[in-house]
Amino acid sequence: MRDVYVAGIGITTFTRLEYPLSEIASYASMMALKDAGVTEVDQVYVANMGAARVNHQTALASAVVDSLSLTPAGAAAIENGPASGGSAIKAGFQAVASGMDDVVLVAGAERMREVNNLEATDFVATLTHPIAEYIYGVTLPAHAAMFTRLYMDKYGVTERHLAMVGVKNQNAALNNVWAHLQQEITLEGILDSPEAMTNNPYVAEPLRFFDACPVSDGGAALVLVSEEKAKELGRPLIRITGVGQATDTHAVHERSEPTDLMAVRKAAGDAFAMAGLTPQDVDVAELHDAFTILEIAESEEVGFFPKGEGHIALEKGETALGGKIPINVGGGLKGRGHPVGATGIAQAWEIVTQLRGDGGARQVQDAKIGFTCNFGGFGNNVVCLTFERED
Amino acid sequence: MAREIYAYRCRRCDTMHYPFRMVCSGCKQNDFFEFDTVPLPKNGKLLTFTKVYNLPAQYEVATLGLGIVELDNGMRMLGQIEIDDPKIGMPVKGSVEVVRKEPYDDYYGMVFRAA
Ligand SMILES: [Zn+2]
Repeated sequence: MRDVYVAGIGITTFTRLEYPLSEIASYASMMALKDAGVTEVDQVYVANMGAARVNHQTALASAVVDSLSLTPAGAAAIENGPASGGSAIKAGFQAVASGMDDVVLVAGAERMREVNNLEATDFVATLTHPIAEYIYGVTLPAHAAMFTRLYMDKYGVTERHLAMVGVKNQNAALNNVWAHLQQEITLEGILDSPEAMTNNPYVAEPLRFFDACPVSDGGAALVLVSEEKAKELGRPLIRITGVGQATDTHAVHERSEPTDLMAVRKAAGDAFAMAGLTPQDVDVAELHDAFTILEIAESEEVGFFPKGEGHIALEKGETALGGKIPINVGGGLKGRGHPVGATGIAQAWEIVTQLRGDGGARQVQDAKIGFTCNFGGFGNNVVCLTFERED
Repeated sequence: MAREIYAYRCRRCDTMHYPFRMVCSGCKQNDFFEFDTVPLPKNGKLLTFTKVYNLPAQYEVATLGLGIVELDNGMRMLGQIEIDDPKIGMPVKGSVEVVRKEPYDDYYGMVFRAA
């Protein structure tokens, strides 16, 4: 297998965007191509979940490859729920590692604000089991809420811990100009003050408004290249050293231990094993905090902390910038936003930014090893990646 | 006659599944639809629950109760709950009712209440 490097990165602002979906994907891609210094690619993968359903567009990759004047390169869209981005990176990795392609553009984009919030919630809920879950009105916040209830009962996680994740990540987004939420929040305002229940109502008990990521439009892109090409292009050498992907039962109730995220554990374990790393080697991590509880649970399942102790590490500040393992220093999904198909690629964008030392006010000192966890479904399809800077 | 929701028992190894899957997770050896259908029990205990406030577009109610229940035979299922003060571990009793209405279709599923 050949080594695979990230030679270019690009992103759009995550917010409500008044551009067609294909232009959002193409803009991020153009930024990544310019960053890498390439005008030709062998293959394009475009990660997206809702084009057909939300934006009434199919075959998105064909639109993007043409708009970027990259024809006749191969092109394909990858729809894998919220793990579409990570899955597209994996496909691009395999294309370069196999020797089939030398330069692959991997883009992700979503335009969810084209419909109202209720329709967006329903669109994401279509990833649940159609007979055993969807018909009951289950949404992703509902799944996350039921999972949170169990976590509270079993491990002593409280609403305060959840709010601490929300405050940490939303305020981290203030250091990221591309991030959706640019409003500082405090524990006082969302939890302790008399107005907290008005500011921060329940969306699915025990989860509140500020426990969930916003609904965002946006795009992100990477250019993946072979070692020879990476050295020719002369950009900082950031190598993808570990790739892991794992699945779990479609219906959440079928899992033997409902507080376990087996696919997260397996995907992370496989990525670390491939890279020859341990979780303790990681300098900076992007976890999939679509809901605040997920950052806590994933920080345990990927191996940063023992099971049931993620919230204690959070209390000690170990997951904040300057802590032992800074998590979501660019805002995470909570602060940066969650254009579903773009998220896995935006996580990689943040890690490459960090490993290049370009993080500015949110830079993790001497970051050499990064990690991403892109969580699809309700934990039934997960992609984890490790990135290392080579000097 | 009371409506039922069915589990699927593999005719080769007796592993029970809900919902249906094409290949048995126990033996992975079954032929096409080599399962017996068995009604799911309706009594069980509440494993976890939530009350949802922002519902998908089709629902015209203010909030919706949802929970995962461990049924008396040890299998689990998700259902709607209509319980005023739900608690983890409380006994519940289910009945099969309309859980989602769409213009030309009513979808039936389990609704649990305090036993
Ligand atoms: Zn069997």
